[in-house]
Amino acid sequence: MQLGFLVDLHLCMGCKGCEIACKVENEVPLSTWRLRVKYVDVGTFPETKRTFTPLRCNHCENAPCERICPVSALHYLDNGIVNIDKERCIGCAGCVMACPYGAIYIDPQTQTADKCTYCAHRIASSMMPACVVACPVQANIFGDLEDPTSNISKYIQTNQGGVQVRKPEKGTNPHHYYVGGGNVSLNPLASHRGEGHNLFGEIKNLPVGGHH
Amino acid sequence: MAHEILAATNAVVTLDVALPGIVWPWLVTVNMWAKSIGTGIIFMLFILQRTHPDSVKNMRLPVSIIAFVFINIFLLFTLADLHQPFRMWHIFVYSNWTSAIAIGSFMASGFLGLLTLLIFLAWKKNDEAYDKVLLWTTILAIPVTLYTAALMSQCTARELWQMPAESAQMILAATLSGSAAMILFGGSKLSYEAKKSMGVILGLSALMAFIIYMSEYVFGPMKAEEVAAILEYIKGDGEYTVMFWLGQWITYLLPMLLIVLSRASKNESVLKLAAILALVGLFLVKHVWLSIPQLLPMS
Repeated sequence: MQLGFLVDLHLCMGCKGCEIACKVENEVPLSTWRLRVKYVDVGTFPETKRTFTPLRCNHCENAPCERICPVSALHYLDNGIVNIDKERCIGCAGCVMACPYGAIYIDPQTQTADKCTYCAHRIASSMMPACVVACPVQANIFGDLEDPTSNISKYIQTNQGGVQVRKPEKGTNPHHYYVGGGNVSLNPLASHRGEGHNLFGEIKNLPVGGHH
Repeated sequence: MAHEILAATNAVVTLDVALPGIVWPWLVTVNMWAKSIGTGIIFMLFILQRTHPDSVKNMRLPVSIIAFVFINIFLLFTLADLHQPFRMWHIFVYSNWTSAIAIGSFMASGFLGLLTLLIFLAWKKNDEAYDKVLLWTTILAIPVTLYTAALMSQCTARELWQMPAESAQMILAATLSGSAAMILFGGSKLSYEAKKSMGVILGLSALMAFIIYMSEYVFGPMKAEEVAAILEYIKGDGEYTVMFWLGQWITYLLPMLLIVLSRASKNESVLKLAAILALVGLFLVKHVWLSIPQLLPMS
């Protein structure tokens, strides 16, 4: 079994239901996110549109975080999930530095690394990840990539030309795919970032979450 | 290249989480700086024993103590940088052998053990045994110096840090700071001729390190888009431009000039000034190179 995620960006409407469901399910502390939806505005008024891109851990086949972790706190499960053992983590932040997707953070409460685990605890109980359940338009498609009859495999087969991953040049082989994405939504260098990068505040930088 | 479409798309991130602050802060800079001195001075003792054996007869104990102190500073700041320092022992029990951090921890611990043994042998004045152990300590000092470069190259997200260049920079930082420390701590025990030799090593290390930094500065952006974006932080009115150039001048350019001047004027004070500048500047250079890749948005 090789679990994977696909987000159809044609369907996503940026409601952030997935983000909130993830926060609640995994008790993600304030100022940190396992999953978040990025908004990018494109064009010049009045010819403008807004793109929405959910971002989470890519559960790479060749995960830099797993490789750099000195204590194997980040490890692979048999189903392909890159999981984290917070009791083992020493908080060196090597994984935060290694992840090219910015998907790992230091939990300010436990002082250990944390990230999306595809809700591994729910998967173990044969449930879908919380974000999949919460999505009102079924933009999140989750399943076994090795099963040709799974929804995600069928989706990839149907949209072969349009399936993309983030930063393929890094050689991480992500198991997280996007349909309907483009440079603007998937490449952080393809858009301007003003002060704060945030509609709702002037915060430029967040504390790492640790003692620094 | 993504930035080339920006003018056409006028794409602006309007909602994303704020960027995380610097993940590896100045504590990691101290780590690299102290390790360079700790291993570098061992390299220099090894060289001087072969080139100026009479001059370093009485240097065994002080050099071992200096290396021991700086390696302990390196380890202390490594520990201080951990968010869970009391779990440090996990590295030795749950070691992941693909991790440069894990392998480096074992090597650094072994290195510290050898330094302790060197102090003991120097104190006992057992020169024969000391010199045998020094050989193995010097050999181990090479991977101890290099493992931080391996760690940086394992940071897939930070395109600026490429293993070949970082390895060279780590070794050059060690030879630069080791020779500088030897000039300063040599005092009256180290002959002027030996100090002059150290000055040559310092000057050549500075020259080579400067060439590598300038090569990356000029040619790096031609190879990778992320590198180009990162180097913007040290170009023009970039956030780290002043610190970068201050570091280059203090660590490399001024010491090179001062060493030439000291050889022409046979002035030891000028040589010492070059050594002080190199040691101080190395911290700035390392800090800039550590920090700028962390400023780039990953999402």
